[in-house]
Amino acid sequence: MTRQLHVLALLAGLAAPAAGGAQTVQNATLRRAQQAYDNLEYRQVVSLAQAALRERLTGPERARAYELLGFTYGAMDSILKAVDAFKQVVLIDPERQLDPNRVSPKAYSAFDVALRQVLLVRQLRVDSTSFVGGRGAVPIRFTVTQPARVVTRAIGGGGGGGGGGGGSYLIDSGAWNGQVNLSWPARLANGDPVPAGNYTVVVEARLGQNTASASQPVRVSHGSVDTLQSLTSLPGYQYLPETEVPPQSWRPLGLAFLYTGGALVGTLGLESSSLGSSSKRELAVVGGAALVTGFVMTLRKPAPRPAAANILYNRLLRDQIARRNQDIAKENVARRQQVQLTLVPLPKASGAGPR
Amino acid sequence: MSRAAVGLALLFASPAAPAQRVTAIVGPQFALASYREVASGLRYQGSGFGGALSARYRRLSAEASIVRLTLDPANGSAATSGFTATDVNAWVAYDVATYASVEAGFIRRTADPEFDAQSVGAVRIGARSFYELGPGATVLFRANYLAAPKFSGGGHAGFSIDLGLGLDVRLAGRLHGTAGYTFQRINRKTNPGGTGEIDAPMQATVARVGLAVGF
Repeated sequence: MTRQLHVLALLAGLAAPAAGGAQTVQNATLRRAQQAYDNLEYRQVVSLAQAALRERLTGPERARAYELLGFTYGAMDSILKAVDAFKQVVLIDPERQLDPNRVSPKAYSAFDVALRQVLLVRQLRVDSTSFVGGRGAVPIRFTVTQPARVVTRAIGGGGGGGGGGGGSYLIDSGAWNGQVNLSWPARLANGDPVPAGNYTVVVEARLGQNTASASQPVRVSHGSVDTLQSLTSLPGYQYLPETEVPPQSWRPLGLAFLYTGGALVGTLGLESSSLGSSSKRELAVVGGAALVTGFVMTLRKPAPRPAAANILYNRLLRDQIARRNQDIAKENVARRQQVQLTLVPLPKASGAGPR
Repeated sequence: MSRAAVGLALLFASPAAPAQRVTAIVGPQFALASYREVASGLRYQGSGFGGALSARYRRLSAEASIVRLTLDPANGSAATSGFTATDVNAWVAYDVATYASVEAGFIRRTADPEFDAQSVGAVRIGARSFYELGPGATVLFRANYLAAPKFSGGGHAGFSIDLGLGLDVRLAGRLHGTAGYTFQRINRKTNPGGTGEIDAPMQATVARVGLAVGF
């Protein structure tokens, strides 16, 4: 049973070293150690890898040699030795990460234990972002493998390209452990945005005498903030016609009858009985003219008349647009004094590691 | 939006007060008239010429007309000779509603020869209603009480009223056609020689038709 598990663990552990072997290995001894590992000759792996470590190796080769030792010790159930080997790996390459789906649980747990026993700042990530100065922040994430006092700074002038003012800006200082998420508003003490240029975000962790750090160069650039266009209309609201043509009707003729009739009734009613009936010639002339006018106006297309409700609606709409445009004008005045900060992470010039 | 605001908006949007500037029309008129006095047998008919002027500024409006009438005894009249009457009317009105105004003014009608008919002067107080029949066509009806009438032959009148029908049609551009009808009834009473009051009513109808130019 133990033997079968051992074989399974070995088979599972093969994947990661094989993937790691894809990197160019110049050292012949190390190549032989890799071949021995591929052939499951673990004792030979140990002796060859240790021999390679006594030779002159590059950093990645050295990390590769310790990694082979870690996997091999893990496969041989020498967990403490595996942990020691993986500690060397992460000290050389703090960003080294094992895929739990591709390595054996023993190797992975040994790697995990190794990580917890070494103070490291890993996986420092500064995301690309763009925001108006004072209205946003730069997200910064990293992992500290042990509880430690962590100081995060942005140091100007780093990474080449100049700029940044050469200043150092404290982003955060605190006790952290595990995954850490920080926000950097990229502002000076007086509220102004940090000068444009290249910066290096440096995370330093201290635990007793042990220290670790990681860095990420970034570029901060300044731009103008987009201003808003004035409104000519409000979405969903349209001006309404301020005049309307009433429907054709007999109203003009009716009104002419009404007014003429009123004059006729008044005349008849107010005539003096002692003076007799007055002449109706005058009323006939004017009343006839009124009736003819009423009839003609009845036949004519009615004139457009002001639509009071629409006029009021349009006035409200115009007032609303004017108010909005005043707000936009004020906003634009403010925006012209603002700075659009754009932060882009730059490729690392060289890796950082524990000191 | 309050009712008052909507009402004001409607008022200012109405045809009665469309302009913020002074608008006026003035022009000549031809007149037909009939006149009766004292008794049914004393009646005259005639015609004449005159002119009329009207102006408006916002809710204020004013009208004036003058017409000179030559009145002759009508058929069957007991009168033996005619006379010439000069009729002067003036009004100032203020719109109190979309289609209504209150108005005040005066009337003065003089007869020549002076003793052939009564000359009269009075203050007008009343109201009028107007309505736009169509584009540029307005009809009006007025009723005025003739207060404090004065007569050349003396006397007084407890009841005097003046009814009117008016029409203003814009014919083309600035050219307007105007027409006006006036019915006047004055219950004059006199006391000749101190023998007691007797009725001496007066009744007149005038139709005026003319052209006018708008400004």
